[in-house]
Amino acid sequence: MHRLLLVTLLAGLAACGTTPDERPATVEVIALSILAPSCGQVQCHSTTTNLEGLAFDTLAAAKKSLTELGVTRANNELIEVLHGEGDERMPPDAPLADEDIALIEAWIAAGAPGL
Amino acid sequence: MKTSIFVGSLLAILTLAGVAHAYPQYQLSRDATCTGCHVSPDGGGPLNENGLAVAESSAWIQQAPEFMYGMSKPEWLDLDGHVRSASGYVRPGVNSVAIYPMQVELSARAETHGFSLNLTGGLRRPQEGGSALHVLWSREHYLMWRQKPGENTGLYIRAGRLMPTFGLRLAEHVVYTQRFGGRPLYGEAYALVASYVQQKYEVHASGFASDRIGSAVEKGDGAALYAEAKLGDHAAIGVEGKYSKGDEVTSIYGGLTGKLYLPGPEILLLAEGQVVRKEITAGAGDKATQLAAYVMGSRELGSGLLLDVGLGHFTQDTRVKGLYRDCIDANLHWFMTPHVEMMLTTRLELLDAGSSPTGAYALAQVHYRL
Repeated sequence: MHRLLLVTLLAGLAACGTTPDERPATVEVIALSILAPSCGQVQCHSTTTNLEGLAFDTLAAAKKSLTELGVTRANNELIEVLHGEGDERMPPDAPLADEDIALIEAWIAAGAPGL
Repeated sequence: MKTSIFVGSLLAILTLAGVAHAYPQYQLSRDATCTGCHVSPDGGGPLNENGLAVAESSAWIQQAPEFMYGMSKPEWLDLDGHVRSASGYVRPGVNSVAIYPMQVELSARAETHGFSLNLTGGLRRPQEGGSALHVLWSREHYLMWRQKPGENTGLYIRAGRLMPTFGLRLAEHVVYTQRFGGRPLYGEAYALVASYVQQKYEVHASGFASDRIGSAVEKGDGAALYAEAKLGDHAAIGVEGKYSKGDEVTSIYGGLTGKLYLPGPEILLLAEGQVVRKEITAGAGDKATQLAAYVMGSRELGSGLLLDVGLGHFTQDTRVKGLYRDCIDANLHWFMTPHVEMMLTTRLELLDAGSSPTGAYALAQVHYRL
């Protein structure tokens, strides 16, 4: 009885940690909710600074930059740097959350609609 | 090569555009409003006569605090200038040191009969592939009228390119309530700001439009309100709200601020919490709610030293469990002279309570006020 209770409790706790991501996997959410605040700060990949020729602070600029990064391919430069280690990783100050990377990968797997 | 790009990118994020230089850490311990030390009604920018005296008395080595150590100039003209640079040590990734420019700006203010013209210009990071002239710009330029010239209370009206008044307005732009909240770095817009400042309360109301001429961080048009009231001698509470409607995103910010000075241990606590509602209006659209909070404890240690310890939280989207970050900050300022500030700023950042990689940095900054 106690073992059943423990298993039920653990299963319940595990379920709490796996809330499905309700965000739509659209280019607007990828660009404006994820990439703009993390990568598109004014001193980095913004239309103001255009670091490395990339900008993510507007939808139009993000679409252009995502195209240049080849995101219509499964293995592309964006995914490479998001999963990078050490000085290969972007953003450099703090990585994107696993949930954000998963949403970007889901969008790419769906063929990067809207790009 | 990649290491230098990485370190350069990180320092760019953290430092390059650090422009604010208000220190609300001094406020309640000296029973002063922002106008007690600054010309501007919401702090930052050139110091007034009392601010210069505080800069001198707070420093380890006392010197003439005026611009260029008191160079001669017309009485109606105020000048101010700032040069900053930083070097950094970062993890994860590489442990490395680099020196990076941060801020080079000059401010001029000409006043007569309560009317003043205020200009701040300088250098910013070059645009890759852009014109060399892009590095020159004017972050702020506005006209100000104040009801009581020579005093630090009353009505202030400002019109031009400036930051709408919002929130605690700390010097560190990486604070979550500023980076992700309603007062982002370079968030200046063309604005009309009315401020009414009294010793016991202050109200700031702004209407603004994004800068369509130059590049803009604030991409929406809207309004902001910040009001703060003192509760007794050692506490203050504030409310804040901002609405910004852009072509792609509409944002609504609401929050509270608090300040509490503890005379015994001589610690000032500063706190801010914001709820942010962001609606993507482009394409299929989406709506998300975010939470940003920051608490800082600050204490003067003598000999020009000021220690800040802060805790930050940012929930990126309340719909997604675990999509948040927390940080612990520690900043040690050393006001060596009224013109030279050395600063060690450190941060430990945890994503999703540590299930993802942890970020951390330690940066040494040098700030020279002309």
